[in-house]
Amino acid sequence: MRYIIFGLLMQLCMVAKSQELFVYTEPASNMAAKSIGFRLNNTFMKVDGTQKYNYHFLPEIMFGISKHIMVHTEAFFSTRNNGLKAEGGLLYMKYRFYSEDAVHSHFRMAVFARGALNNSDIHQPAINLNGHNSGLETGFTATKLINKVALSAGVSHLYAADNSNGNKFYYGKKDRNAMGYHVSFGKLLLPKEYTSYNQTNVNGMLEVLGQTNLQSGKSYVDLAPSVQFIILSRMRLDIGYSFPVLKDLERTTSSGVMVRFEYNIFNAF
Amino acid sequence: MKKLFLIMSILFASFAQAQVTKVNLQASGLTCSMCSNAINKSLKSLDFVEKVMSNISTSTFEITLKPGASFTFDDLKKKVEDAGFFVANMNADVNFSNIKVEKDQHINYAGMTFHFLNGKGQVLNGAKTIQVIDKGYVTSKAFKKNQSLTSMECYKTGVAGKCCAKEGLSSESRIYHVTI
Repeated sequence: MRYIIFGLLMQLCMVAKSQELFVYTEPASNMAAKSIGFRLNNTFMKVDGTQKYNYHFLPEIMFGISKHIMVHTEAFFSTRNNGLKAEGGLLYMKYRFYSEDAVHSHFRMAVFARGALNNSDIHQPAINLNGHNSGLETGFTATKLINKVALSAGVSHLYAADNSNGNKFYYGKKDRNAMGYHVSFGKLLLPKEYTSYNQTNVNGMLEVLGQTNLQSGKSYVDLAPSVQFIILSRMRLDIGYSFPVLKDLERTTSSGVMVRFEYNIFNAF
Repeated sequence: MKKLFLIMSILFASFAQAQVTKVNLQASGLTCSMCSNAINKSLKSLDFVEKVMSNISTSTFEITLKPGASFTFDDLKKKVEDAGFFVANMNADVNFSNIKVEKDQHINYAGMTFHFLNGKGQVLNGAKTIQVIDKGYVTSKAFKKNQSLTSMECYKTGVAGKCCAKEGLSSESRIYHVTI
């Protein structure tokens, strides 16, 4: 497995073109001002130790407020408890505060905050504001194009509140805080040469996603390879698979597939 | 009557021939087609833009302006920045009509004030290409290098300062620093 991962990383470092529209994480760049993006996020996560899959449906709307600020809103639905049920939603905001651009390259930094409300039962000590926990996340992301390879890294602080409907975070008061981190690589596979906006772009990504609980010190680290199709320069189809390489910090589902469809409208308001 | 005909013919000539016909810009900070399309759509939203021809590989955009429409280079730059990127290079095709340019002289033309940094007293006639070299229109390295072309402080700020007082420009009015 180590050799495979090393091989994939080497591949990504040797590519001619890059992308930073990552599947599992947000880059430091923002969407265009006055644009709106619609996303249908779907995750199929295997319940560890069983043959059962949990389906999470997370519709999302994104707004480019200005060149510096973008906002996401997202709703949560899942089949964790008998049928597809609405479980809450989140608000995400990113502020790009630094940009150093050259032709075909850039270095950007951004800070972000995510607030989530969730009414489902809490079932794991790992914190996931994207459909599992109520809470707050604040973080920092930096993204750079180096020799036309996109590299993004970020770190965040996660705080898990009690979920609504009387669902307590019962793993201990100090276990409510965790550190999240990620490193993401991206590569444009097709087209070899750009000729028009109608060409479908195919991107390959590899992301490392981790979390360490600040009280217990336990961690999980996932690897998430993904493929992305950009259609007509305004739509995206993302297909990813995440699996753990370290699962010290317990989760009920640790591996599974993500399928996302995204549609962007430029100059929408 | 002859004077009236002369005035009318001058007016007609100035309307018939647009002063700025095309702007070519290169954007920085992008490699993907969706990012390029964001700039393309952003530029097309301007009411004075007739057509945008883009090259995704080189991040360049050839913008044809509507004849007679008023515009400023800052309008175009803002749209590139709104899309999340920056201008690395901007050239404009300008139809000049008997305009004499001297070094460090300010000239009102096409609804904008130009400061030619490399004017040598030449008289400009017909289609010429000028490059805007203000801050934010070239790389920061090029902006620093071009400082050697003038000692006037308006180059650093892009607006009229004390250095421009003798030419009667109102304080803080926008000046586009260009080379030809």
